[in-house]
Amino acid sequence: MAAPVFIIAASVSAELHQAMIEARGLALTAKNARALAVRAGSKTVGFRAITDFIEELASAIISQSRVINHHAEKLSTQAVTAWHSDNAMAHFRWVEAQKPEHLASIRPHINQCDKQLDALNHELQIGLRDLIGQIDESYKHIRTANLIATSSHVEAATAGDFREQLEVIADNIRKTADRIAAHLNRANSLLSQNHRERKIAC
Amino acid sequence: MLATVLYEDGDHRWIMFARDPGKPDGIIDTNQYLIQSGNEAILLDPGGIELFAPMLSSVLKYVPAEGITKLFASHQDPDIISSLGLWDQALPNAELYSPWLWESFIRHFGMNNITYKAIPDEGMTITLGRIQLQFIPAHYLHSSGNFHVWDAKAGILMSGDVGAALEEPGAPLWVDSMERHGPKMKKFHQRWMPSDAAKHDWIRRVSALDIKIMAPQHGRLFKPPHVADFLRWFEQLPVGVAIKG
Ligand SMILES: [Fe+2]
Ligand SMILES: [Fe+2]
Repeated sequence: MAAPVFIIAASVSAELHQAMIEARGLALTAKNARALAVRAGSKTVGFRAITDFIEELASAIISQSRVINHHAEKLSTQAVTAWHSDNAMAHFRWVEAQKPEHLASIRPHINQCDKQLDALNHELQIGLRDLIGQIDESYKHIRTANLIATSSHVEAATAGDFREQLEVIADNIRKTADRIAAHLNRANSLLSQNHRERKIAC
Repeated sequence: MLATVLYEDGDHRWIMFARDPGKPDGIIDTNQYLIQSGNEAILLDPGGIELFAPMLSSVLKYVPAEGITKLFASHQDPDIISSLGLWDQALPNAELYSPWLWESFIRHFGMNNITYKAIPDEGMTITLGRIQLQFIPAHYLHSSGNFHVWDAKAGILMSGDVGAALEEPGAPLWVDSMERHGPKMKKFHQRWMPSDAAKHDWIRRVSALDIKIMAPQHGRLFKPPHVADFLRWFEQLPVGVAIKG
């Protein structure tokens, strides 16, 4: 049986929190790259331009992760409310089956609860769809990060004495991108567990 | 859920709900009480979440939903009021009377619709239909903010965890001998009740009442002469024993 939505959404939120922490590491890598490029001078002009991209990318990932994290948390809270209503409905159904004398008197509240549950479920469906869309959107950053890592390797090749250090930075970018992608993949598979079958290779 | 009418005088009734045959093992058995008068009813210590459906179904046999205008929670324990989140959906217009001390805690059980009526430390009297009910302080017995319900007209004291016994399923409803019943209550009172001073204060208060039935939240109920027997037994029982280890 699939995990309840409030657990899935909370787990997605946790994955995106981790992704955000990784992106902070990426911002640090950009700072190191910049310092190195300044020291290396004219040999690393191309690399210096790349560091701007890394910084922008890191801050884009951080803000996007923050948005998704927040969205997922809100969704989890909504899912808990829906679960409570669902739980109440299960109890009400049992009471209805017992046909107590004054059953009619409770019907308006049962209907109200049922209506609320429908509305909540509808909101949850929309929320989950948005969440999936936002995560799909984030993969674009991973693709950019990989492109930057490749260009960094190319630039490193012409950096003479600084080659080794620049290659370390390029590797760092790729590894961080991989780790962020892993968090996104986990978030995605959590969501597809109860939503839809989807595979994303990056 | 077994329903027993404890008192009836016109439209003034006390009904006890207990000994739910479907109760899962490992959950303490509880007595729930419904007091009716006129067009109103109050549910005392409505119970744990697992009891909600059988309780609602039982209560609706006696009174329509809009007739249950009040709930009472003697204290914050889960066996008292963890069903609140569900009653909140079933009786959105009801009021919950409970110690002021526990308001911000009890709300954790889920309360979006029901109105919290905070009982002050000194207790209070409310009107239910044509009768008056008094919330009598029973602080530290066992909870630090705790009340019992006194219905002077019926002569019934709902005594919460005081007088409670943890018994085998199928035990009789009434205490028939304090000598035999005392041992079944001893550990519970000694370990759960923390304060001898609180115990003496409570005994002084309730000794002034003409109690025809003392109705605790667990186990059997007391009628005279067992009510006085109980008070004497409780008086001499050292409580708060865990710190003496
Ligand atoms: Fe208790
Ligand atoms: Fe209790």
